[in-house]
Amino acid sequence: MATAHKGRRSDRWMAYGFMMPAALLVGLFMYWPMIDTFRESLYSTSFINPVPSFVGLATYRKIFADREFWQVVVNSIVWTAGVVFLQNVGGFLIALLLNLRLPGQGLLRSLILLPWVLPGVVAAILWRFMYDPQLGLINSFLIRTGLSDHGVGWLADPGTAMAAVIFVAFWKGFPFSTVVFLAALQNVDQEQVEAAKIDGAGATRRLFDIVLPAILPVVAVNMLLTTILTFNYFDVIYVLTRGGPLNATAIFPTRIYEVGFGQFRFGEAAAYGSLAVLVLVLFVGLLLVAQRMQARAV
Amino acid sequence: MLKGLMKSTAAAAMGLWFLSGAAHADPVVLKFWDNQQTESGLSVFQQEAVKRFEAENPDIKVEVTTIPYPEYQQRLLTAVQAGNGPDVSTVDQIWNAAFAQAGAIVQLDDLASKAGVKAAGFFPGAWESANYKGGLWGIPFNVDVWFFAFVNKKLFSDAGVDPASAVTWQGLEAAAKKLTDKSKGHFAIGLTGSKSEYPVVMTDSFIYSNGGAVLGDDGKCALTSPQAVEALEFYKKMADYAPAGILNAGDEPMRELFLNGTLAIELWPALEQPTLDKSKIDWDLIAGFAPEGKKAVGTFGGWNLVLYKQSAHQEAAWKFIQFMTRQDVNGAVVDLIPANVAAAKDFLQKSRRHPDVILEHLNNAKPRPLSPRYLEVSDIQQTMVQKLLSGTPAADAAKEACQAIDALQ
Amino acid sequence: MARRSTFTRKMPLVALQLAVACLVLFPFFWMVSVSLKPATEPFAIPARLWPDHPTLENYVLAFRPEFRRYFLNSTIVSGATVLITVPLALLAAYSLTRYQFRVLSAFLAAVILAQFFPAGAMIIPIYKMVKAANLLDTYASLIIAYITITLPVSIWMLRGFLARVPKTLEEAAAIDGASPLRAFFDIVVPLARPGIIATTVFILIVTWQEFLFALAFTSTKEMRTLPVGMNDYIGQYGIRYGELMASSVLVSVPVIAIFFFLQRYFIAGLTAGAVKG
Repeated sequence: MATAHKGRRSDRWMAYGFMMPAALLVGLFMYWPMIDTFRESLYSTSFINPVPSFVGLATYRKIFADREFWQVVVNSIVWTAGVVFLQNVGGFLIALLLNLRLPGQGLLRSLILLPWVLPGVVAAILWRFMYDPQLGLINSFLIRTGLSDHGVGWLADPGTAMAAVIFVAFWKGFPFSTVVFLAALQNVDQEQVEAAKIDGAGATRRLFDIVLPAILPVVAVNMLLTTILTFNYFDVIYVLTRGGPLNATAIFPTRIYEVGFGQFRFGEAAAYGSLAVLVLVLFVGLLLVAQRMQARAV
Repeated sequence: MLKGLMKSTAAAAMGLWFLSGAAHADPVVLKFWDNQQTESGLSVFQQEAVKRFEAENPDIKVEVTTIPYPEYQQRLLTAVQAGNGPDVSTVDQIWNAAFAQAGAIVQLDDLASKAGVKAAGFFPGAWESANYKGGLWGIPFNVDVWFFAFVNKKLFSDAGVDPASAVTWQGLEAAAKKLTDKSKGHFAIGLTGSKSEYPVVMTDSFIYSNGGAVLGDDGKCALTSPQAVEALEFYKKMADYAPAGILNAGDEPMRELFLNGTLAIELWPALEQPTLDKSKIDWDLIAGFAPEGKKAVGTFGGWNLVLYKQSAHQEAAWKFIQFMTRQDVNGAVVDLIPANVAAAKDFLQKSRRHPDVILEHLNNAKPRPLSPRYLEVSDIQQTMVQKLLSGTPAADAAKEACQAIDALQ
Repeated sequence: MARRSTFTRKMPLVALQLAVACLVLFPFFWMVSVSLKPATEPFAIPARLWPDHPTLENYVLAFRPEFRRYFLNSTIVSGATVLITVPLALLAAYSLTRYQFRVLSAFLAAVILAQFFPAGAMIIPIYKMVKAANLLDTYASLIIAYITITLPVSIWMLRGFLARVPKTLEEAAAIDGASPLRAFFDIVVPLARPGIIATTVFILIVTWQEFLFALAFTSTKEMRTLPVGMNDYIGQYGIRYGELMASSVLVSVPVIAIFFFLQRYFIAGLTAGAVKG
């Protein structure tokens, strides 16, 4: 009895001790900054007036009245939803394809993660060149095949810029989803699949009745993960368009950087930061509700 | 034990420091930051100048850091905020007032009057840009005009157009029609529309050339004046003859197209000449465009040298500023045009085609609004140009811009 | 006969697979192709797929002194982040899998919740902290930021791995009289090696390409990392695409190489975290 108690106490100390350094770091560099972001947003500073002055919620009022803010909200949602959808659905379909035992598959499976490993800035520079209206490969191809008679400014037209940056993020990110889904697919109970086959269930039927339910938890986790990563992703848009043209691709991270480090209005940047958390939480909340409903439907 | 170790290490370090100090006086190390202009080969001249300065001042060493323009302002602000900025740097004219207002730089009136550095030695626009609230906050380093029009003679002759005819707006439009052949990938004129300073200096020039202004004499926004709106409308019209994608393009892509021979007119400051001389392009220079009967007026620009409050070597830094703006040095270290008038004349004779055209353009160019909040004004103008080029009528875009600019006060 | 029908049935799928391969690999081919073109060729209109006169001069140019410096900086920052984050994450993950105290579940929830904090939102306060500590424009500022970014995910990944290390081994060691600490180092750490490798690869990939913090926290050339330095090249040398692509290749090769050697572990780690989740 006495020894058991002693053991438990030392266990407890060891558990706490092991956790402590990480907990301190997470607290100091994640939770404190998050709280401080909100505090900072109540003050106003700029490069020419570096001394902070308390303004309460005035900055928020100013932001809410600004059309650009709402544009940033809409863009962030379009960007995140678009990229997450493509990465997950595209990633899943490609995972299904790579799970079929076709020739040459081994090689492709090991090469597929290349875009994901490529540094984001490099990927963006590469695609910027490929999108170039005059010098780029994409437009050269379109002109040569007669699909277009002139170069298209993919990144320069407010109508196409968002689609163009989403495509780059899709290219860079889908391999991650594919690999995760592939692993999940390989864990699907093959006996069940075979049994369904014998019962005469077609491929589509097997997919929806057996495979999808089996990997649904993985899909859910992956969607959540890609949502958060995409919402916070800065590199690709900054290098490709810097949020332009006409704010057509401005999302929270690029906006925060522009206001904070471009114009040194830290208070306003912090307010954007606080609102970014709010929007992300709402967005993820909606996603979770949708997933729950989906799960019930399945 | 750890404490003991640290103590002895510290003692050793101190000893070394004293030893080195005793052996020879440590030279002062000056940190000098500058904007890196593209491919101008300036760094070579800078290195030579620095060598010369170090030879004249054996107790001072200069460390040069160059940063490309799109990143320069943010890096400089960050470094100054962080307290590890340079001792001396160039700043774009349009930043000078903000740096003064922020308390980052030293007021130079006393130093300048003691050293005999006077307004008369510099281009008036340049000197003016270094003054803010009745004080002198920088010494003009170099100047230039955005923009001169560089023309590709071969493309003009192929299209049967005389470059001289393009100096009027009417002539330019007629020429642009003939020079543009989208099926061949040929475009008449390299405009820009990205979120950056480039479209601002370009549209300002069109506005100035039509007798308009950005801010009126009363300090209120003047972009809604008929002259300004007309100029913006013209800019929009000319965008049809510019390469696709200018809403995401600064001046660099336009330059690449001019250098590969597919763009007929490139709008750049005179600093472009050395690059063109090295290229295979058969080029000439015409001085901007203006409506029939008016004179082309460019946008004045350039860099001033400033001295930072944080600097621990202000005396040495001031020496360096004086050195860099001296008549016999200034011409050798700039890629734009020396701000020192005497140096500029020699410089233009020696290294530029059409020195008279350049000098004339330089003398009648107008500066952008000199205000500590210029960056915000510029930001609003950038949005205005983007709206304009995306189809908003010029009058509406200008009206919106003026509301925003007047709300700044 | 049967064989042939499967083959024709598979044909469209093979073609589809080929299309996927093109989508994935074509930009890489283009990157390498442009990096081998002499200075003016990338500006030819229309763009040409292959270099007319392949040359390595872009690589020579790209390997300029500042590039080497950026390379060194990136290596130092990424390496230091791995060295600090992995042990911390391992300890935390261990206590999370072996003990069920309420404080620990709260910590786990806090770690997961922290994933929602946008780096964009935290960058201003972290910037101010780093500035107050006089660490702006130092390796330390970036290492701190990168530990922050990578620690929660690393804990998450390692937790997936450690959950698979059977508890019975430690219990056996405890019966043999080994202290829990001893058991951790002698038994758990070696068994978790695949997880440690996977986490290391993950941290390297993330930190090697991190851009936002590096852009905001460094101002001098001496401290810039590769992504920031690369971004600077765009304006600095007049968009010399050949050189830009050559440096892109040089930047990418190390991560790609590391990744290929350790990819088996990495994918296992990824799925351990995600599937177990």
